[in-house]
Amino acid sequence: MDERTKSRVGGPGNPREGLDAVVALRRTLEALEAAQVENAFVAGWSWAQIAEVVGVSKQAVNKKHAKRIRDRCPGEPPRRKEKGE
Amino acid sequence: MIFNRFAKEARACVVAAVEEARALGHDSIGDEDLLLGILRADKGVAAETLSSLGVRLEAAREESERMGYDALASVGIFLEDIRREAGDAFDLRIPEGRRVPFSPRAKRVLERALKEAVGLRDSHLGTEHVLLGILGNGDGMAVRMLARMGVSPETVEDRLFELRGRAAG
Repeated sequence: MDERTKSRVGGPGNPREGLDAVVALRRTLEALEAAQVENAFVAGWSWAQIAEVVGVSKQAVNKKHAKRIRDRCPGEPPRRKEKGE
Repeated sequence: MIFNRFAKEARACVVAAVEEARALGHDSIGDEDLLLGILRADKGVAAETLSSLGVRLEAAREESERMGYDALASVGIFLEDIRREAGDAFDLRIPEGRRVPFSPRAKRVLERALKEAVGLRDSHLGTEHVLLGILGNGDGMAVRMLARMGVSPETVEDRLFELRGRAAG
């Protein structure tokens, strides 16, 4: 059996596992958002462009990610590219 | 505030718990982080108890991570896939500047630790009381983590009192 279809716990019959999965997902989602925003920034996207795709305000993206990314990627911000490049 | 009545060692273990939680990407400090904190601070009867049962910081940390992997896998998500796709920027650690609160479960453990100290007529609140507080939460992550490592809460408690008795002479 495919490893990916093998286990179907976390369903209504096992709330504890389901809730544990939610916690693990929330933590993973936070890290994934941070990583993808950083990837976009490094690729030359502006905060406005990133915010538009993520579906939040520019200020929200800036507040949540700018400091961390600047600390992680010191130096001049990358060259801005045209959207969708 | 409960924290004021903590002996130096117990404080060190709580501080270490916060560091462990942040390093593991826990967005709140859980009871399992308090257990990791005891191991990381490596002080007092509690740390001695755990190490005498073969519970080591590295192994406990890995078990905690594995519990996260398993939880994700149960809904068909594989952390390794995400890590590979997102690249080097993917980092589960909690970034600096983001506050990590104590979970209700961890708060309850600390409250129970205080009760244990009072119940045992100890004049200070030490790591052993924190450990007893953790063990008293049978439904918590720490007890489940220990169980996965093959150690029952009863075994830990018995060893703890054995070592305490020895220390008291």
